[in-house]
Amino acid sequence: MSDNHQFCTFTLGDFTFGIAVQAIQEVILFQEMTPVPLAPATVHGLINLRGQIVTAIDLRGRLDLPPRRDGELPMNVIVRTPDGAVSLLVDQIGDVVEVEPALHEDAPETLEGAAREIVTGVYKMPGHLLLILDVTAAVTVPNSIQPSRN
Amino acid sequence: MSKVILTVDDAPTMRKVVSLALGGLGHQLIEAEDGMAALELIKLRNVDLIISDVNMPRMDGIEFTRQARQLPNFARTPILLLTTESDPTIKDRGRAAGATGWIVKPFKQEQLVAVVAKVLPA
Amino acid sequence: MPIPDTLQQQLTTDFLIESFEGLERFDRELLALEKGATSQETLNNIFRVIHTIKGTAGCIGLGRIESVAHVGESLLSLLRDGKIQSSEEIVSSLLALSDALLGILRQVETSGSEGSADHSVLLSRLQDLQSGRPAAASQAVAPAPEPAEENAAFGLFCDEPEPAQESAPQATVPSEPGSPEPQQPAKASVSESAIRVEVSQLDKLMNLVGELVLARNQIIQNVAQPDTAALVAASQRLNLITTELQGSVMKTRMQPIGNIWAKFPRIVRDVAHELGKKISLVMEGQETELDRTIIEAIKDPLMHIVRNSMDHGLEMPADRCAAGKPEEGRLLLRAFHEGGQVNIEFTDDGQGINVSRVKAKAVERGLLTADQARILADRDAFNLIFLPGFSTKETVTNLSGRGVGMDVVKTNIEKIGGSVDVQSSAGKGTTLRIKIPLTLAIIPALIVTSGAERFAIPQVNLLELVRLEGEDAQRKIETLYNAPVYRLRGRLLPLVDLNRHLGLKPKGSADAVSIVVLQADGRQFGLVVDQINDAEEIVVKPLGKQLKTLSCFAGATIMGDGRVALILDVLGVAQHAHVVTEVRDRAISSDGAAAHADDASQTLLLFESRKDRPLALPLSKVARLEELSSANIERSGSQRVVQYRGQIMPLVLVDQHVGGDGWDSAALQDPMQVVVYSERGRSVGLVVSRINDIVHESLSVQRSSSREGILGSAVIQSRVTDLLDLESIIRAADPDFYEHRQAV
Repeated sequence: MSDNHQFCTFTLGDFTFGIAVQAIQEVILFQEMTPVPLAPATVHGLINLRGQIVTAIDLRGRLDLPPRRDGELPMNVIVRTPDGAVSLLVDQIGDVVEVEPALHEDAPETLEGAAREIVTGVYKMPGHLLLILDVTAAVTVPNSIQPSRN
Repeated sequence: MSKVILTVDDAPTMRKVVSLALGGLGHQLIEAEDGMAALELIKLRNVDLIISDVNMPRMDGIEFTRQARQLPNFARTPILLLTTESDPTIKDRGRAAGATGWIVKPFKQEQLVAVVAKVLPA
Repeated sequence: MPIPDTLQQQLTTDFLIESFEGLERFDRELLALEKGATSQETLNNIFRVIHTIKGTAGCIGLGRIESVAHVGESLLSLLRDGKIQSSEEIVSSLLALSDALLGILRQVETSGSEGSADHSVLLSRLQDLQSGRPAAASQAVAPAPEPAEENAAFGLFCDEPEPAQESAPQATVPSEPGSPEPQQPAKASVSESAIRVEVSQLDKLMNLVGELVLARNQIIQNVAQPDTAALVAASQRLNLITTELQGSVMKTRMQPIGNIWAKFPRIVRDVAHELGKKISLVMEGQETELDRTIIEAIKDPLMHIVRNSMDHGLEMPADRCAAGKPEEGRLLLRAFHEGGQVNIEFTDDGQGINVSRVKAKAVERGLLTADQARILADRDAFNLIFLPGFSTKETVTNLSGRGVGMDVVKTNIEKIGGSVDVQSSAGKGTTLRIKIPLTLAIIPALIVTSGAERFAIPQVNLLELVRLEGEDAQRKIETLYNAPVYRLRGRLLPLVDLNRHLGLKPKGSADAVSIVVLQADGRQFGLVVDQINDAEEIVVKPLGKQLKTLSCFAGATIMGDGRVALILDVLGVAQHAHVVTEVRDRAISSDGAAAHADDASQTLLLFESRKDRPLALPLSKVARLEELSSANIERSGSQRVVQYRGQIMPLVLVDQHVGGDGWDSAALQDPMQVVVYSERGRSVGLVVSRINDIVHESLSVQRSSSREGILGSAVIQSRVTDLLDLESIIRAADPDFYEHRQAV
């Protein structure tokens, strides 16, 4: 089975998501972040990843999910992008899973808003659905314009 | 017995050449980048032989020799000057300043070893 | 051979680096000599370079270099001893010698051998010059030097009573029938693949590596005897050390821009000779540091710009004389840090860019329609030279026209995130400015805290720090309508509250105010922060793509504790807070030019003269706003003056200059509202009826040339408001006011 069908999984609320393992650089525990004033709301802050400055994007915000409850610490899924590493903040890290390509289905029509652009497909897993995310879409912050400027 | 040889030259490569040429003799080799630095150095520690270039910034080899000879510990220490064919006066000026001998650049390793052997008896 | 091959190779590499550096110095000192430097030190330095190359080359078996250098050394020793005088021909020949040596050195570098280029012409020229003859009739070329005889090669003075006899054979390299050296494929040369690093910097790295090893040992120990607290401590330590190590390694990559400029004097000299022009090159800010990779990337563009200035900008000596300029053209290179960027400026005092010719050419090339060309502002027209396929000179010379246009220069600069801008004044000259972001640079910065976060402010923008405590904090900050200001030595300093503008929650104490006085784009303002911490050297790191649009931040850096701090882009903050004019994007779109309008926005003081006539002045012109008693007015000749801050300040009744009553008939208010304008220690008070507001407006000014005292009018807050022509009013009221300015 090809690598294309290996996904690193994680959860956000009740949903399970997957990102192709090739796109994952590493997973690290929650780190203290430096918030960025005036930044789009989904940008949660900046972390120091071995001297590299990495933007952390809150996937909950990106997918229009309700915010994490106070005191719950997210984890950083560091993904590789053509513009350098970016951290996606998720609730819990799951396993790396291999899926049967035949189980792939297109993203359901019922998806709304941002999720529509980011979720590229679905795999039916025992007891739950695995929503596959497109990394490039996930790290693209829409409307990256300072809200306070005009 | 191991001796300490000081090479004075503003060209690092030249210092390395001298050090490499004498490396097999089992002596301790130290370096200085011009006459001024060398003078400071020998005020702090003793050396058994000095091989110095002549044309250097700040203080040349002739002046260095003259001043080194004023130091009580260096009245007799052998000082060899690295001269070139192009300036015939160097040898005379070197002798007047109190140098022990000369070696014309470029030299062969054997020549350097030979002259060092002459002034540094084992 | 006694010296092993690998060592021999290392020696050769050392020699190459040393010699490349030496020859660069040699060229530089020679040019200084030609410019009239006659110190013995200069002559010694020149001599020593060739002397050292000769001596070292001989010792490591590079005989050809040795013998070529030998001939140069002989000439140089005569020069040094004052036996012959320097001349242009001697300098040219010695520069040719430098080129020849460089050629052989490169050959050694790429092929490992000295090659077989024929230098006999050069060598006989150098020999002729030794005898003081012009280098025309060359004497027979002497044979190569025999290796010095064994017994003369060294000796002890005690063995040899007689002073040694002189023997100084004239030497040249045998002229082998040689074709020009084959062009070697480009590969990283030793000078590019090696850099010099300060010993102190290396020591610091070594210390950090030592600490790294220590931290590693602690962690390894922990594996044997787990102890969470110790592990956490060790990890934190490791994090700190790694961060600092990375910063330090980055520092070793910083290079002064002078490294690439070093070649320019020689190029300028050669090109000027070739073109028959006289050009002096002045360089400022050589020490400005840039990351190696940036230096490499801008090397060729900079070279091209210099050549372009010489070729197209500076005129022939006769034309310069005819234009009333000194025969010698001037090319000034300046590098400096500003606004969180490295600026590199090229200024020439040449003919400037001919706007109509540039426009005509652009139309001819189909880059612009005739209509677009007509409305295109001069400033935008200059930038046409950066369009692909543009060249104003009919004949492409072999200097600038090397298949590279200014468009390639622009592209290359933009590739590394920089920008290029050109300004020109017909007949006076051209300035080309490159701005390169500091994304890879290390800068001195001031660390401040606001809203519990730390921010770094580049020191280049910093003027001073002000701390107001207790009562002062309340009293000294005034609010002029909606804009907070602080009077700093008589000047009104607009204040920008960092917390407010970045939407942060203030954490500072209310009874003290910290103001960082900053400068951006020539305007000063005070940034109010919660706390001023320390000055630090920081490594600038770029922000991710997601944050590129935030103009308030120039990047981020990692602090000593491993956390990230944002670097403020002072100009961006100022623009965000509207204390400086927003810079319009002057890029020309591919379909021509955006219509140009005088619509820059700025901060204005709104006031009225009598009869409710709305007037405006840029706040930047206003030093203070005062209320003065009309009883204090004195007369000095025909002028009205008051005693103000130990000076006699002339008063100007604004009414009088915009068509209203004069002093005699005017009914003065008491107290009078006075707008104080200061220049070079002199002040003038403008008497107005009422001060209304301070606004930030984007102006669309209608010019009015006919009305005295008025620059034009604009609609501000839905009222037609006249912009005061301050200079003409002051001149009318006090003809002497500007006099001393003109004398300067």
